[in-house]
Amino acid sequence: MRYIVTAFLFLLAGGVEALLMRLQLSFPNNPMLGPDKYNQIFTVHGSNMMFLFAVPVMEGMGVWLVPLMLGTRNVAFPRLNAFGYWMYLIGGLLLYVGLFTNTGPDAGWFAYTPLSGPQFSPGKRVDIWAQMITFTEISAMCVATELAVTILKMRAPGMSLNRIPMYCWAMLVQSAMVLFAMPAVMVASNVFLLTDRTIGTHFSNPAEGGDPLLYQHIFWFFGHPEVYIIFIPALGMVSAIVAAHSRRSIFGYPAMVLSLVATAFIGFGLWVHHMFATGLPQIGEAYFTAASMMIGITSGVQIFCWIATLWTGRVRLNTAMHFVLGFIFIFVMGGLTGIMLAAIPIDLQVHDTYFVVAHFHYVLIGGALFPLFGGFHHWFPKFTGRMINERLGKVSFWVLFLGFNLTFFPMHLLRLKGMPRRVYTYSPEMHWTAANGMATAGALIILIGGILFIVNVISSRRSGPIAGANPWDAGSLEWAADSPPAPYNFAFLPGAVSRYPLWSDPADRVVVTGMRNDRREILVTETVSGEPRFRHVLPGSRIWPLLTALLATAGLVGSIFYFQWYYIGAVLTAIGLIGWFWPKEPVEIEP
Amino acid sequence: MAFIEGSLFCCLIAMYFYYRLGTFPWPPPGVQLPSRLLPACCMTLLLLSCIGSYLASEAARKGDRKGMIWGMGLNLALAIAAMTCRAIDWRLWNFKWTTGVYGSITWAIVWIHTLDVLGDLVYTAVLALLVLLGNVGPRQRIGVHADSVVWYFLVAIWVPLYVTVYWVPYFWGANG
Repeated sequence: MRYIVTAFLFLLAGGVEALLMRLQLSFPNNPMLGPDKYNQIFTVHGSNMMFLFAVPVMEGMGVWLVPLMLGTRNVAFPRLNAFGYWMYLIGGLLLYVGLFTNTGPDAGWFAYTPLSGPQFSPGKRVDIWAQMITFTEISAMCVATELAVTILKMRAPGMSLNRIPMYCWAMLVQSAMVLFAMPAVMVASNVFLLTDRTIGTHFSNPAEGGDPLLYQHIFWFFGHPEVYIIFIPALGMVSAIVAAHSRRSIFGYPAMVLSLVATAFIGFGLWVHHMFATGLPQIGEAYFTAASMMIGITSGVQIFCWIATLWTGRVRLNTAMHFVLGFIFIFVMGGLTGIMLAAIPIDLQVHDTYFVVAHFHYVLIGGALFPLFGGFHHWFPKFTGRMINERLGKVSFWVLFLGFNLTFFPMHLLRLKGMPRRVYTYSPEMHWTAANGMATAGALIILIGGILFIVNVISSRRSGPIAGANPWDAGSLEWAADSPPAPYNFAFLPGAVSRYPLWSDPADRVVVTGMRNDRREILVTETVSGEPRFRHVLPGSRIWPLLTALLATAGLVGSIFYFQWYYIGAVLTAIGLIGWFWPKEPVEIEP
Repeated sequence: MAFIEGSLFCCLIAMYFYYRLGTFPWPPPGVQLPSRLLPACCMTLLLLSCIGSYLASEAARKGDRKGMIWGMGLNLALAIAAMTCRAIDWRLWNFKWTTGVYGSITWAIVWIHTLDVLGDLVYTAVLALLVLLGNVGPRQRIGVHADSVVWYFLVAIWVPLYVTVYWVPYFWGANG
């Protein structure tokens, strides 16, 4: 839960930055922010939204929901989870310390060399960015590890692979992607950028045989999967919401699962489409165009399955469903511009313009934020034990939806008039004023929508009607726990007798008995069949994860200034880890 | 862990060959070719040290405390010998990480792998100490087993890295 709250606070911060940028661009020659402040703010906005909001909030939702959906008591490795959280929080604070001391990174959220290299970005700004990446990636990998293990080994008895809820499948695929993609960005930001900047290696220095283009390859080998790391959990949420509120099982479960997995595979094969403008061999262009268009097929499978589910179900049109339908509309729009961008002739024309800005806000806000908001409304009763106000929820949806389209649709048109990205101002002769003014007005409307959402959450949490365990009459196991769930989720672990256990005949339902309630005991199950194997005791809370995170912080932050801090940090972290793993007393596990 | 580190080292190998393709000559003039003997000793010793890990892990399965200590001790001794070979060889290099991109990538690969190996050696040493002190619960036995698995990975990943760093400059080097 603290993950989700922290991530929403960062969303707020990122939103404020977006608003500042929109205000700056609202009329020509606006003196509000200078070019330097503007550069810092758009870099921090991008980095914040990708690394401090989108990925952590998806993982936070996963950490909270996955154990409930699987019918188990906690995630595997709860202390690793704590460590991941502290690393994430410290990394986020580091970025903002930078911004407020006028050392905010200013080379874009991807910090391309040579602009971000030692020659053109002196000072500590880009170093702070690079280490912020390290913090958030460590945290993401911790969470991915524990979620993958939880989903593979700690399911409810009887939950074979083909009964795992769609959302958990999505989190499993996402975790696998994190494990393969995140190391690449650590290579890019740490091995590449930071050592070039601090100790004078030559990875991106062409004079000494280095190559700035390789930085782009390595970065986007992470950066493109990153988009799916954000997007795939959102797909899982949509599947959960659609099934619950259509009051039927999801249409085409095997096709949905396969298309998730296929998305992950293809997602690793199209990073170069961010680099079409760098000059590529023709075979490379052809391959990456084809791969980029293929992603449209897997996404299309999902969309058609949802439509089929909605079509044949009895739809309950509440706020969560509004957000899902808004998602489908916006995401399809973004998908269409995506197909356009995959064609190289078009890409070369619109590269680095507002068309791209419009495209990725359509797919990211449409593809991730709307499902997230939908999920938040859907699971709000489970989070808080109270119902969220539907009327205010629908109003906030429409305000957000209109504001969103008003902000980002004019950006397509701005491209037709030739506006490039990342300019801090423009002159009135360019005739960009009207569309920019519209976009800024839209941003203000989004702000109103956001305020309505926050008001709704706070007031419903305080005085909404009591929800009960299963207010939506949904079928998956998280609705079998109390609302809000007890710290141990389930006193008696539920069994999974079908894909939607709570929709099965009550006479068939089973619970596991014989689990001890006086210690943190969980059930470990078989990976494929979900047959129970043995009981396992999870460790309790201790101070060591926080302490280890602080010790690692000393090393990572110190290394911004002196490379030797890496060694000191390694030793300190090792001490922290030894303390962490030192056994208090031998804990026996009976089979 | 193996996924994460595996992707990391794959990135590094890809980088090595990318730079190799764009740089002539390789290694740059004035830089010695890597030595043959000491790195080969290091590789052999690392492979042999896996026997220690295997024995420790087998002993852990049977709950044999003495076997675990012997296995881990053998592992530690051979690994430290291997690292000594590497350190001696490393000191003989006539280039630093600032010597062109060849120096940068070579140092990066060896440095990161060494850091990983040292990390695992500390882990093994602490585990051995725990077992010596008599704290041998099931968790420690799983720990010994996990330690062996990590060690197999670190040795296995060194095989392609070793070939890349120490052989490629010979077979696909010079003016290539």
